[in-house]
Amino acid sequence: MLNIINGGIETIVEDWPGRLGYLGKGMAASGALDNVSLGFANLLVGNPTGEAGLEIAGGYFEATFTEDAVMAITGTDMKPTLNGDPVDMWTSIMVHKGDHLKFFHFGKTGFRSYLGVAGGFDVPKYLNSKSTCIFGNYGGFKGRKLAPGDLLAFGQPSSPLAGLAGRKLKKDYMPEYENEWQIRAMPGPNTCPEYVTKEGMDYLFENSFKIQHTSNRSAYRLDELTDGFFARTDGGVGGSHPSNIVDHAYSIRGALNICGNTPIILIGDGPTLGGYFCALHVINADLWKIGQGTPTRDYIRFIHCTEQEAVEARIQQKNLLSENALA
Amino acid sequence: MEQKDYDVILDSLAPTKSRLEVLFRQAGDGFIQVEYGREQRADLLDSFRIGTVNANLLEKKIPGLIETVPGIRTNLFHFEPEILRPQDLIQAIKEEEHAVVDVEDIELESRVIHLPIAFEDSETKKAVAKYVKEARPDAPNVINGYNLEYIAMCNGVSADEVKKILLGTEWYNSGCGFWPGGGFFWPMDPRCAIVVPKYNPPRIWTPEGSVGIGGPCVFTYTTATGGGYQLFGRTIPTFQFSQKHPLFKETPFLYRNGDRIKFHEVSEAEILNIYAHVHEKTDYSYEIEEGKIQIKEYMNFVQSEAVVKGAEEFRKKQAKGAMEAPKL
Repeated sequence: MLNIINGGIETIVEDWPGRLGYLGKGMAASGALDNVSLGFANLLVGNPTGEAGLEIAGGYFEATFTEDAVMAITGTDMKPTLNGDPVDMWTSIMVHKGDHLKFFHFGKTGFRSYLGVAGGFDVPKYLNSKSTCIFGNYGGFKGRKLAPGDLLAFGQPSSPLAGLAGRKLKKDYMPEYENEWQIRAMPGPNTCPEYVTKEGMDYLFENSFKIQHTSNRSAYRLDELTDGFFARTDGGVGGSHPSNIVDHAYSIRGALNICGNTPIILIGDGPTLGGYFCALHVINADLWKIGQGTPTRDYIRFIHCTEQEAVEARIQQKNLLSENALA
Repeated sequence: MEQKDYDVILDSLAPTKSRLEVLFRQAGDGFIQVEYGREQRADLLDSFRIGTVNANLLEKKIPGLIETVPGIRTNLFHFEPEILRPQDLIQAIKEEEHAVVDVEDIELESRVIHLPIAFEDSETKKAVAKYVKEARPDAPNVINGYNLEYIAMCNGVSADEVKKILLGTEWYNSGCGFWPGGGFFWPMDPRCAIVVPKYNPPRIWTPEGSVGIGGPCVFTYTTATGGGYQLFGRTIPTFQFSQKHPLFKETPFLYRNGDRIKFHEVSEAEILNIYAHVHEKTDYSYEIEEGKIQIKEYMNFVQSEAVVKGAEEFRKKQAKGAMEAPKL
């Protein structure tokens, strides 16, 4: 088991693709905000790529192992140490009973680290997923972030531990981290001419937007919009602000919701429905970049993308997360 | 500069006698939004029709279709684009649109859930105070520390009249969403169709049981969360994650699509007492009536002289109020 000494800023159990199929019950998919890092952590320790791992946001997580295990750390470099010595990331490592794992804070690029263990984390599935919905307080480990004294059990490893240690990710499979994230997005469902001016849509695709400090697992809030964005003066019976609309379902994860004058990317734990329109949609294969975007420091730049390119990117990402990635 | 393609209408169906134009909007890789007409309107007939087409489509069990999320005038389709091509999904939806019967012949299963409400209670007041302190100190929708006066102003009526309107009609659930167990409720009586803008920016926190309105829609917050609706007060639990109370034994949800809710006013002390009886003692008895909506009968009510006239008078007051109320 993993015995939590310090839960850090926010450490939670997440899997992938999360809790699919409950948008109509008002339940977001949740899931790892960076599914690529979670996928590699799992791959390294011999798990299915969607198995539950720990998502460590911000940093300062600390725990001891109460049994031998194989672990892998991916994501942003939080200068993790094992018994005080630096420990390699993107590599599977044998750990022993009593070993002490400690993370510093997020690195110069990226915001979330992932910890995978052979066998995954053994928490009960709720509605077919082990993912935590932190804002709804359900799923994962007791529906909350980890706290000192929590004990997390491991599942059954896919093969004997000794054979799972020492696996490394090939260099060219390593995701590239930035401080200005290039994120592919498809226009829709609400664009020009009815909702946004042509200039407004261009503005979304031709500027970079700072990630606001109010961002969290349900919403990444960006810089306010410029004048001339809206193609309407009000939302009719949807409300008096031009961003208002008669309530509709949000295409989460990935919708760019125009909430008053604030563009907000709705992600993991986001609302499933609401009364603001959505101008574009971050493609599934680039959602992970949002998860690594650091509030108050990083920027997001949207890159125009077609449906066909988005589907190809999904297939490429699936191929990336395979045994071929291991050295 | 490269010319970007912002046209997102993938396909459409021309309007017929019994329905509006149907638009198929691109909403991401793996998402299509079906929209009825281009005008923002809240017409329960659209919702009745969407519910019918949706149910028929789900029976087909289309491979690659993950889920649908119906609303008052839209339906969101979520699918796996590697398995199901958008054009094939659109074709299947079109077939069901062509096949559906005239909506007036439908008889809908619809329960009536009676909910107590305490107006302007201290918990929801805390949420408003927190918003003013942390998000928008000059918020024009906060008058005397609350939203009721602003709701009244937007609709050209008094705060007391706003309370009477909320209490005076049944509210119909066009579909669940936004938050676990949440329903979106529309006034059955057009004379009670109040409309308000939503918070700008939205709140970070709203307590469990808050009753709010945004646009034309009433919502009861099932757990503490963010949100953008103007607040009336607080009702009793409408969701229970722990499923301890017998009503929530099968699922954590109270609301079903097509339910109606009806409010009655009580004191804050009574609301707090009911919380204890739902969440701790688990012996509160919810007041739920089984029932049906006959669409034809409902249409006759909506088209009756008294209702048409009353709604027209209300709209006049509302138009004046909307002009005078500050925008958000």
